[in-house]
Amino acid sequence: MNRLQRAAVLTALADELRKRGSWCGETHLQKTAYFLQELLGVALGYQFVLYKHGPYSFDLHDELTALRADQLLELRPQPYPYGPSLLPTAASADFRARSPRTLGACRRELDFTADKLADKGVAELERLATALFVTREMPDGDAEARARRINQLKPHVSLDEARAAVAAVDRISREAAAFAE
Amino acid sequence: MAKKIHEIRDPIHVFVRLNSDERKVLDSRPFQRLRHIHQLALTSLVYPAATHKRFEHSLGVMELAGRVFDVVTYKDSVSDPIRRSIPEIDDDDSLRYWRRVLRMAALCHDTGHLPFSHAAEKELLPADWNHERLTREIILSPEMKAIWEGMTPPLRPLDVVKLAVGPREATDLTFTTWEDILAEIIVGDAFGVDRMDYLLRDSHHTGVAYGRFDHFRLIDTLRILPPPSTADGGAATEPALGVEEGGVHSAEALMLARYFMYTQVYFHAHRRVYDIHLKDFLAAWLDGGKFPTDLEKHLCGTDNEVYVGLLDAARDPTKPGHEAARRIVEHQHFKVLYERNPDDVAKDPEAGRAVFEAAAVAFGAESVRHDRIPPKGEAVGDFPVLMKDGRIASAVALSDVLRNLPVLSVDFVFVAPEKWKDAEAWLRDKRASLIQKKETQ
Repeated sequence: MNRLQRAAVLTALADELRKRGSWCGETHLQKTAYFLQELLGVALGYQFVLYKHGPYSFDLHDELTALRADQLLELRPQPYPYGPSLLPTAASADFRARSPRTLGACRRELDFTADKLADKGVAELERLATALFVTREMPDGDAEARARRINQLKPHVSLDEARAAVAAVDRISREAAAFAE
Repeated sequence: MAKKIHEIRDPIHVFVRLNSDERKVLDSRPFQRLRHIHQLALTSLVYPAATHKRFEHSLGVMELAGRVFDVVTYKDSVSDPIRRSIPEIDDDDSLRYWRRVLRMAALCHDTGHLPFSHAAEKELLPADWNHERLTREIILSPEMKAIWEGMTPPLRPLDVVKLAVGPREATDLTFTTWEDILAEIIVGDAFGVDRMDYLLRDSHHTGVAYGRFDHFRLIDTLRILPPPSTADGGAATEPALGVEEGGVHSAEALMLARYFMYTQVYFHAHRRVYDIHLKDFLAAWLDGGKFPTDLEKHLCGTDNEVYVGLLDAARDPTKPGHEAARRIVEHQHFKVLYERNPDDVAKDPEAGRAVFEAAAVAFGAESVRHDRIPPKGEAVGDFPVLMKDGRIASAVALSDVLRNLPVLSVDFVFVAPEKWKDAEAWLRDKRASLIQKKETQ
């Protein structure tokens, strides 16, 4: 995908998340884009490393900034003391209307991702995305081993929370596999 | 008796103090080389006093890194939840070790810079190389390893690497929360001391006063804090650098300083086009058109050798890179034909490319250059603020300045001065057909 195609997909992702009630801050976009790329196979081309609140892409971080400069995303402050949202602009709707082929090719993946994740808060998204990261790192690891690895990597995530996240990611992965067929 | 603390005068920090171990790094070949790498490449052609070097900047970064470390690890400033997330903060031996690593990493963070710093890095290094990778290779080199291992207690070279280049560049290394925070002290988007020092120093040397801000107050109010909440079902708890409420205005001033320095200095059109001419010269002048990544060769390459080659090529039309060198030396740089603006962006975010491609056909590829830098970092520009009542708030929720700070992006098309008049008339005629809404391909 080139930069403008990625712009269409990212603003569509933000739009779908928002329509389903997501807070849609940067963490929400980072983690849902991670699922979109790594689980659903949409070739955004970002490299994710384990960093802030789980898998994180510095390239995506830059791209979200570029989308603000391009008037396709806008920073929407939220009432004190909460962090801001990054929302698609009116101009981005027009831009997406000019990207029918790009969006047509990943519409189902966008909807699936938003359906599964739009209602999650940042803490839960961190746990789920980290669980997916660890599952990809340990494809043969059983649920308990993966939960322990999450707890080791992110000590503020308790073992019980990690176990729940692994179970949820396994469930979403099964649905994604069935959906892909 | 040998001195244990060495003092170096500095126009920004008055004195930079370093111990004998740090002095060994200062005296090493990789660090001394920085005396010959200009901080701002050819910016002195636009701002004549901007001739300062990476050497003094690196000393400044070390000085500030030490100050920030002392402030954010001060016992009374660390909350219990942060202590639980970062056990290293309660271990005095660990604190002493990491303070040393942090200052060494700050000292070494720019050792991998090529001649003329960022001017030509992307195109003139082989794929998968950048200055951070060279920095890493230098820190891990036998020459530097001998220094790390000779200290008491020794420093682990990979710890220095992690903090010097940060998680963005060391993607193969796993960072603990503590290491993330320490790397953020040096290279962080919001409060990295690399940025603090270069803004203050570049402002001082260019004479552009907008780059100044109250870094004393800002540093005194820095804290390790949980992130701001989003109120959507459980806040994340992973800590980051933030400020006390009393430091918000200093943080605003830092962000404004950055904005003004980018608009006035770093993205100045003439400065940008001199970088392009330098890149063209180097591509023709260097063996194979690339800088070497061999460390010995890297350590022998400075601005001085390039300047000699540049002046030589400018005088002699038979030398590789003559035309680009001549344009730099004789100040015959290309002129701005097109510059990004909001109306065009609304039609086509890559309007500059459309103009560039058509202009290259109309006036010849050798007479037209495109300079496109999408913005980096600061997607949100938010950070946690510790309020007087103990709550953690979003800086963007508190500050009109932060929420309205423009995002900068460069998109210039330059044309040779002898063709500029024709090109300008051509663009007036073609503009509407070149810049229009079209389907994303």
